[in-house]
Amino acid sequence: MARSARRTTPMPIPQLPNSDGGAPERRRLVQPAKIKALAALSLGVLILLLAGCASEHPLDSLTADAGPSSERITNLFWPILIVAIIILILVEGAIIYMIRRFKAQRRAEDSGTAMAGDPYDPDNPTELLVGEPLPPQTHGNLRLEIAWTIIPTIILAVIAGFTLVAIFDLEEVTASEDSLRVTVVGQQWWWEFQYHTDGNTDSPPDFVTAGELVIPVGQQVPLEITSRDVIHSYWIPQLIGKKDGVPGRYHDWLIEASRPGRYLGACTEFCGLAHGYMRMYTIALPATDWNDWAANQRQPVTPLNPGEVGYEGQELFLANCARCHSISGLTDTNGDDQTDDPSIYSGGDPVHDQLVAGAAPDLTHMMSRATFAGATYNLYEDRGEDVDYQDLAQLGEFNAAELENWISNAPGNKPGDWEAGRGMPPFPNLTNADVDALVEYLRTLT
Amino acid sequence: MTQLKEQPTELPAELPAQAAPVTTIPALPASKVVPAPLGVFTRPQGKHGWKSWLFTVDHKRIGIMYGAAAMVFLVVGGVEALLIRLQLAQPGSELLGASTYNQIFTMHGVTMVFLVVMPLAAAFANYLIPLQIGARDVAFPRLNAFSLWCFLAGGIFLNTSWFLGGAPDGGWFGYLPNAGVTFSPSHGMDFYAIGLQITGVASLVSAINLIVTVINMRAPGMTLFRMPVLTWMLTIVQFLLLFAIPVITVALFFMMFDRLFDANFFNVAAGADPLLWQHLFWIFGHPEVYILILPAFGIISEVIPTFSRKPIFGYSFMVFSGILIGFMGWGVWAHHMFTSGLGPISVTAFSLSTMFIAVPTGVKILNWLATMWGGNLRFPTPMLFAVGAVGMFTIGGLSGVTHAVAPADTQQHDTYYIVAHFHYVIFGGALLGLLAGVYFWWPKVFGHRLGERLGKANFWTVLIGFNLTFGPMHILGLQGMSRRIPTYTPEDGFTFWNLIATLGAFVIAVGMLLLFINIFASRRAASRRPAPGPDPWDARSLEWMVASPVPEHNFDEIPIVQSQDEWWHRKYETQPDGNSVKTAAVAELAQKGDAKGVHLPSPSYWPLVLALGLPFIGYGLIFNLWFLVLGVGLVLVAIYGWILEPPDDPEAVHEHHDDDHGNNGHGDGGGAGDDSHETNGQGDSEHISMNGEYAALNGAPQG
Repeated sequence: MARSARRTTPMPIPQLPNSDGGAPERRRLVQPAKIKALAALSLGVLILLLAGCASEHPLDSLTADAGPSSERITNLFWPILIVAIIILILVEGAIIYMIRRFKAQRRAEDSGTAMAGDPYDPDNPTELLVGEPLPPQTHGNLRLEIAWTIIPTIILAVIAGFTLVAIFDLEEVTASEDSLRVTVVGQQWWWEFQYHTDGNTDSPPDFVTAGELVIPVGQQVPLEITSRDVIHSYWIPQLIGKKDGVPGRYHDWLIEASRPGRYLGACTEFCGLAHGYMRMYTIALPATDWNDWAANQRQPVTPLNPGEVGYEGQELFLANCARCHSISGLTDTNGDDQTDDPSIYSGGDPVHDQLVAGAAPDLTHMMSRATFAGATYNLYEDRGEDVDYQDLAQLGEFNAAELENWISNAPGNKPGDWEAGRGMPPFPNLTNADVDALVEYLRTLT
Repeated sequence: MTQLKEQPTELPAELPAQAAPVTTIPALPASKVVPAPLGVFTRPQGKHGWKSWLFTVDHKRIGIMYGAAAMVFLVVGGVEALLIRLQLAQPGSELLGASTYNQIFTMHGVTMVFLVVMPLAAAFANYLIPLQIGARDVAFPRLNAFSLWCFLAGGIFLNTSWFLGGAPDGGWFGYLPNAGVTFSPSHGMDFYAIGLQITGVASLVSAINLIVTVINMRAPGMTLFRMPVLTWMLTIVQFLLLFAIPVITVALFFMMFDRLFDANFFNVAAGADPLLWQHLFWIFGHPEVYILILPAFGIISEVIPTFSRKPIFGYSFMVFSGILIGFMGWGVWAHHMFTSGLGPISVTAFSLSTMFIAVPTGVKILNWLATMWGGNLRFPTPMLFAVGAVGMFTIGGLSGVTHAVAPADTQQHDTYYIVAHFHYVIFGGALLGLLAGVYFWWPKVFGHRLGERLGKANFWTVLIGFNLTFGPMHILGLQGMSRRIPTYTPEDGFTFWNLIATLGAFVIAVGMLLLFINIFASRRAASRRPAPGPDPWDARSLEWMVASPVPEHNFDEIPIVQSQDEWWHRKYETQPDGNSVKTAAVAELAQKGDAKGVHLPSPSYWPLVLALGLPFIGYGLIFNLWFLVLGVGLVLVAIYGWILEPPDDPEAVHEHHDDDHGNNGHGDGGGAGDDSHETNGQGDSEHISMNGEYAALNGAPQG
């Protein structure tokens, strides 16, 4: 065998480098240059694998950070990942090295004795290891073992130090007491946002939206995350890690975007049938745009009068939809707020109200959002990332098909258990013309 | 106890008749005649046929049945995994639908954790612990049988939910309120709460049984620090089970009461905090991770030295790191809850404790490497699986450190990055390690080897498929794919790696198929292959000194242990120059397995009957109280049967020297317990009979 010819000298157990003195011809198991190339290659491949611009991977948490918190986390994570990968390469490398270096067959060749068959061949086992010299029977090495207990401890202590600092940094509130705060409420299977522009979360919110949280750029916005039914988790990977919304608890969380944009999020705590369809956007607008946006959101809608475009739809809305969906400013013929009284959809059992998703997203100014139904479907053709949300025209053509489809048969689009009050029911009673009229009405909610 | 030992005359009258030390049926002294037991209270007879398996109390048969059941459930859980991967192969897939998908991923997790990896480890624990410590059986053989049937009853009960209105759909972690009756109205989560309580009983009983076995029944000279590392790790696991199972049982009991009887343990409207469930679940759930992985660590610690032809490097470091993992495993549970809203102080504490549990784990990996270093390595299939498990577990361990960093975990929690991590630990570490054990001990258990060619194909296919499936999940997780979502959109950018992962899953399926083909092919080939003999691998621990397959009585003669790796040291002698030389042939040293008349515990009907009652209690709670009556009836009958059945089969031929009581030359414990004697109503009787057993052992024909 050509391989064994080159290894005429028996190889001693390598104690330390250079202990074998000489044998310059000896093939090194892995060339150092190869190691470097391999390392560079694997790191390159890794980065390639992980990279990918945000538009290809809108939920990527590592390569498209747009907020100080996510940047802080990424900067903490990368070095740790690289240390982990180095240790991984060392360990796996050691395994591969030893497999090649200490294989019984190779050692037999090294010592010039032929291997007498395979003692473990089930068909023809040779007598077990007769005459084969045993390797040195090392039982341990206390100093070595103490060393490899202490070294990982030190590495981990360093990591722990950085981690500890980061944990407390990420909790640091820089927003002033009276600046914008938002209560984020998870519900099967969409998110509600209650805006407290004065920072007082005890008072009723100034306005309520659903599906899309709009914040001013460069301003830390404290969130108060909770849930009405089961546990959900609020996560906008490009801005901030996740925090669970737990019923009965209010979890503080901080969100901030350092550049304008539209950042996708996904519920990450398993919350039942439509868990995979529970998405949300956080949209960061420049401060002036945000002020304009907020001013618009604050305005209740004016009820339409007979003859106005959408009036028919408004009547259909009151008859079919207002049971669950609120629209601020919409009143019935008596002038009563249609959606104030939760008892109209739950039979007046307040416990039941809170725990079963009976209420549905607030639709005031629905058309100022780009998505509906838990940010699952698009209201507009374009799903671009960098549009100015004040100019809805930039969102592209209005996309009637998905909305019409949704209104007539929501359960066919998104899993749910509407019979138990969870998820939107189908409306087989609505004719196509009714659905068109409803859409026409909803389009007035700008 | 000592007193009693010296006063054999005080032995309770119900003790089996004392037979003369010959193989003829002796005439019984009139005063000791046991009245013939009533009908059903006789103990089952027969050593062959399916009945002998149903009523067996032999730890080896019980171990085999644990393993076989785990393999069946592995197929069930594997099919569930394939369905999950099929559903996720393409965006927008409507193959399963959300409801079915939720049931399938829940049952995949429950099955793989509770019905595959745990019982597979239990198979090794049952089969090997008595052999490795030089005992004839476990301390309580009937309880051992009860553990098996109880586990099987729980597993089958859980899986019948598929046909009775839907499987559990709240995730294996069953977070409330989502798993509560309001949000999960099918009976699925009732099956989960009750089924896991039943399997929990199995684990708990088994844990106590094996702990008592290890503490009391070691062969003379088998000190704790001469026990093989596998026995050590399995013992640590039993302690973890002993303390962890009660916690989950409490939680499941709460859940059951909430769901079935309108209790308010987790009712938010009544003032409950759903985080209670999370704490209870994970105080169990994290030690559970070590319950899954430590048996594999033990197996690896047996396989690597054997095929390196070196002793384990740093035995005491290995043992103590295992103990340390066992202790620290209790202090890291909240790292499953970094995003649950614990507050920064708790998060910091658990973040740090989680990082430092990596230290003893790392020590183990490095000690395995050091064991291989300078060895004479051979790579038959068990070694491939063991080294593969070390390599794959390392990946899982390191990714574990990356999300011990709590801020990073807020990005990774509940994404596929975590899915990748724990599959590298539980599949790459635990299951590959257990498969190494399957290949390693197969010749010992069944008397023939598994084929090497198919074995190697099995290993490489599984390894490649495994990395194809779970490697890409790291990337998917960092790209933001949440766990437990039934589908995703093309715009999410998850399509490519999901497709690769699905392909990988089918490669794993092919690899596992090779295992089953190997099992059947090797069985057919067994007759034309040379018998493996007692010690086919030139291994190190006591089980290799008895015949393969192991005779029912294990040891002809209980070995007297003088060192770690006792069997190895009987074969090899260290020369003055430091080299070890094989001085005696295995054939001369090994026991022949031909001892006659060794007294062994008799089979019993009642463990099976008792276990059978439990699922009916479950059905009763869920569906109709008449089932409950039936179940409770079975349990009561079984308990009375258990107590009233005769301590032994009076006609069985066995040796029992009255004279030998008190003539016990061995130190602590040892010998085979026959728990039939526990029925004679005295607390110490177990000990008495054990000492009696000793006598029998000493009196057994030797050589």
